[in-house]
Amino acid sequence: MKRRWAFAGLTPLALASALAAQAPAAPELLFRDITASSGVAFRHHAALEKKYIVESMSGGVALFDYDNDGLPDIYFVDSLTVETASDSRAARSALYRNLGGGRFEDVTDKAGVGHPGWGMGVCTADIDGDGWEDLYVTALGGSRLYRNNHDGTFADVTSASGAGVQGWAAGCAFGDYDKDGKLDLFVSRYVKIDLAHLPEFGKDKTCEYRGIAVQCGPRGLAGETDFLFHNEGSAKFTDVSEKAGVRDPRGYFGLGVVWFDANADGWPDLYVANDSTPNFLYLNQKDGTFKESAFPWGVAVSEDGAEQGSMGVALGDYDHSGRLSLLVTNFSEEYNALYHAEADHFTDVSFRSRTAAISLPFVGWGVAFLDYDNDTWPDFIVINGHVYPQLDRVRLGASAGYRQRKLLYRNTGDGRFEEVAAKYGAVLTDERVGRGLAIGDLDNDGRIDVVINDLDGAPQVLHNEFVARGNWLLVALKGKAPNTSAVGAEITVTTPVGRQTAIVCSGSSYISQNDKRQHFGLGSADAATEILVKWPDGTTTRRTAVKANQIVTLNQLEAAR
Amino acid sequence: MLVLALQGAPPRQAPLPDRATLLAQANDALQRGNRAEAKQLLGKAAERYQSVRALLQLARLEAADGRTAEAMRALTAARALAPNAEEVLVAFAGLSLRVHAPVPAILALESLTRMYPSEPRHAYLLGVGLMTAGDVPAAIDVLRKANTLEPDRPLTLLALGLAYNNQKLFTDSRPLLRRALDLDPASVETLAALSEAEAGEGDMIAAERDASRAMTRDPSNATANFVVGMVRMSQQRYAEARDALITAAAADPRSPKAEYQLSLVYARMGDPASSDRHLNQYREKLRALEATLEALHDTGSGGVIK
Repeated sequence: MKRRWAFAGLTPLALASALAAQAPAAPELLFRDITASSGVAFRHHAALEKKYIVESMSGGVALFDYDNDGLPDIYFVDSLTVETASDSRAARSALYRNLGGGRFEDVTDKAGVGHPGWGMGVCTADIDGDGWEDLYVTALGGSRLYRNNHDGTFADVTSASGAGVQGWAAGCAFGDYDKDGKLDLFVSRYVKIDLAHLPEFGKDKTCEYRGIAVQCGPRGLAGETDFLFHNEGSAKFTDVSEKAGVRDPRGYFGLGVVWFDANADGWPDLYVANDSTPNFLYLNQKDGTFKESAFPWGVAVSEDGAEQGSMGVALGDYDHSGRLSLLVTNFSEEYNALYHAEADHFTDVSFRSRTAAISLPFVGWGVAFLDYDNDTWPDFIVINGHVYPQLDRVRLGASAGYRQRKLLYRNTGDGRFEEVAAKYGAVLTDERVGRGLAIGDLDNDGRIDVVINDLDGAPQVLHNEFVARGNWLLVALKGKAPNTSAVGAEITVTTPVGRQTAIVCSGSSYISQNDKRQHFGLGSADAATEILVKWPDGTTTRRTAVKANQIVTLNQLEAAR
Repeated sequence: MLVLALQGAPPRQAPLPDRATLLAQANDALQRGNRAEAKQLLGKAAERYQSVRALLQLARLEAADGRTAEAMRALTAARALAPNAEEVLVAFAGLSLRVHAPVPAILALESLTRMYPSEPRHAYLLGVGLMTAGDVPAAIDVLRKANTLEPDRPLTLLALGLAYNNQKLFTDSRPLLRRALDLDPASVETLAALSEAEAGEGDMIAAERDASRAMTRDPSNATANFVVGMVRMSQQRYAEARDALITAAAADPRSPKAEYQLSLVYARMGDPASSDRHLNQYREKLRALEATLEALHDTGSGGVIK
C-alpha cells in the first residue's frame, strides 16, 4: 500500500504554503561577515592535530588606533607550531590599517610587528605619554613590547624596556596600580614548557579525555609564575611581582586578565582568569601591594566550589547598577560564570541570569559585553571552540565537538539574558574554533562590531548592520599624559532610562584588546542627560545634554565644564 | 605406642555435617534469633566446604550488624572462589559503595555490566558508583542506559536527576525528578533534588517550597539544606544561610560545596577566621575527591579526567 499524504486534500501550492509557514523564519541581519571583502587576509597557523597544548591556545586580537586617525585598526596574533618552532618567520602576526568603509590594508611589514615569535595575546596602551598607542604581544619564548614611532612604524623596545617575559606568557593588561600616572603592566603566564621535551601525546592520565588520547595539560604540567612591571617612565619597566604579591608562586595557569576597581575605593584591582585552578582577584592595598581575595569575594571558583578552566574575562554594568560585573568563560561541562558585583563581594548569578546552562557544552574563550542593538542594556557575546580535534572522531557526553558555534546573549533588562545567536543566522551559528575576540566600532556608525581570531585559519570581521537599533554615543577619552589612553577611567552615561557605567580597559576578553572608546546604546533617548568621566587620578569631567548619535571626545586637560 | 594408647586417644570430634546441613542449621539459628551461632555455622561451611553461598550469607549478616570489615572479608573470600559470580559481584559492589569505596565497586560493576549488558540494575549501580567517585559525566552515560533498559524506575530517575544536577544540567534533571516524584511521592531525596534543580533554573520560589517540604520530612537532608542555604544567601539572610549550610555540610561530610558556601557566608558576615576555616575544609574535601577520581583512573576504569 502506498503511503498517503499527510496533507491529503491540499493542493501542491497550498501544501507548499503550509510547509513554508512551518519553516523557521529567515535569520535577521545583525552581523555581516565582511572579512572577504575587507582586505583582511590574515590566517592563524595551527597544527592539524594539536598534539601539544602549545598548539591550542593562541591567539589574541587587538582593536586600537595606532595612527590616531580616529578609526580602530586591527592586530591579529599568529603562532608557530611544534613543527615550525625553529623558524620564527613561519608565523606572521598582522597589523591592518582601517581605511574606513569596511576596508583594511595590511601594513604589517612597514610597521615591523609581524614576527613576535610564537605569539599568544596582545594588549595596548600609551606607555610613554606621547599620545600614541603602543603594543605588547605575549608569546611563548619571549614577549615583545613595540613602541609606536608615530609614523606608522614601531620599534621593538623589549630589551631596553625591561618588560620582556620569557617562558609562556599569555594574558597582558596595562593599568596604573600605584596611581603615579604611568601605566604599569601585568603579564600572566600559563604552563612551563620545554619544546625539547614536550609531554608525549596521550601518554598518561593527564593526556586523556574520556578515554581518548589527547594533548597533555594543563593539569599534570607545572605552571608558570606571573609578572607585574612598574612603569618607571621613559618606557622603562621594573619587575615588582614579588614585592607586590602578585607573582603567583604556585604557578596557576594564567590566561585572561583585566584591571578594574572591584571594591570602588579608587584604586585599580586585578582579576586573573586561571585555567583549571582558582582565579585571582588581587585587591590593591594602596601601598604597592595586593591582597589576593578571590575566594572571600566569591570569584575564584564555581558556586559548587569547583575549579574551572577559565580563559577569558569581561566587565560590564549589565544591570545599570553602576558596578562592573565579571563574566568569565570556562571549559566545556563547566559553565561561563557571571559574577554580579555587589558592594563588597560578587554573587555568582550564572544560573539565575539564565546564561549558564546553554554554555555547558562549549569551551568558551573571547568574551565581551556589547549593546548590539543600542537598547541601553549591555548584551554579551562568547566565542567557543574545543582544544581537542580528536573529539570529532568520538562525540562524548555533554561536550560539543571541536568546532563550536558562538553564543550571543540579549539582555532582557531584568537581570536575565536570552541566548539569541540562532536568530541571526550562520554568521553566529557556523561552527569554528574561536579564541581571541575584540569589539569596537570599526566604521564609527554607532553600531558595535566584532573581530575574532580563530585558531584554525581565517579570522572574522563582523560588521554590525542591525536595523532596528536605538540611538548611541561613542565616548573617546584623552587622558592627561602620561596616561593619554585614559586606561582606568570610568564613564557614566545617564539617560531617562537609567545610568550605564563602563571602564576604559587594557587587555581583557581572551588575551585580546577592545577598542578603548566606549560605546553606549541610548535606546529611544535622543540625548544623554549627562556624561560623567571619573579619570584615574580622581578628577572628573561632566557634560550635560549631550545629543545622541555622535562620537564625543573628552580631554582631561580641558577645563571641567 | 602402648603408653600412648593407655593415655587414651584424643577424643574424636563429631563429624562435621555436610554443607547443606550446615546451611540449614545456620538458617535455623537465624530463625531462633541466634545470629552468633548462625555466623559460626556459616563460617564453618565456608571454611570446610568452600561454600560461596555461606560466605554471601555471612557477609549479609555481618553487614547488617554493622561489621563491614568482617563482611568485606567474607565477600573478598567469595570473590576469590567465584570471581565472575553475579551474586557475589553485586554484593561486593553494594558493600563497597556502602563503605564509600567506589573504586572497587566500579571495577566489580564494570565486569557485571559487561557480562549482563541488558540488566538495568547493574548499570544503575555502576552509575551510582561513578557518581560517588566524582566521575559524573561517565555516570550520566551509564544511568541513561539504565533508564532505557528499565524506564520509570524511580531510583534510576533520581540518580540520573542527581547526576544532571551535579553537572548543572537542570533543564534535563527537572522533568526526570518530577517523574520520579510522581512515581514515588514519599521520596525525600527526590523532592530535595527537585528543589536543587528548581534553584538552578532560577525558580527560587519553587526551590524554597520544595526544599522546605523535604526538610519537614527530613530536617537534616543535605541537598534541601544546601538549597535553602543558597536561597537565603541570595536574599542576604546570612545567619539563616549559615545554619542551613552547616546542616548540609554535616549531612554530606565528603562534599566540598557546602564548605565553600560556608566560607562565603562567613566572609559576608564579617568573620574572616571562620571563612578561612571553612575554606580550608573545602580545599581538603576537594583534594580528597580528586584523589578518589585519580584512583579510579589509575585502576583503568573507563572514567573521565580532564
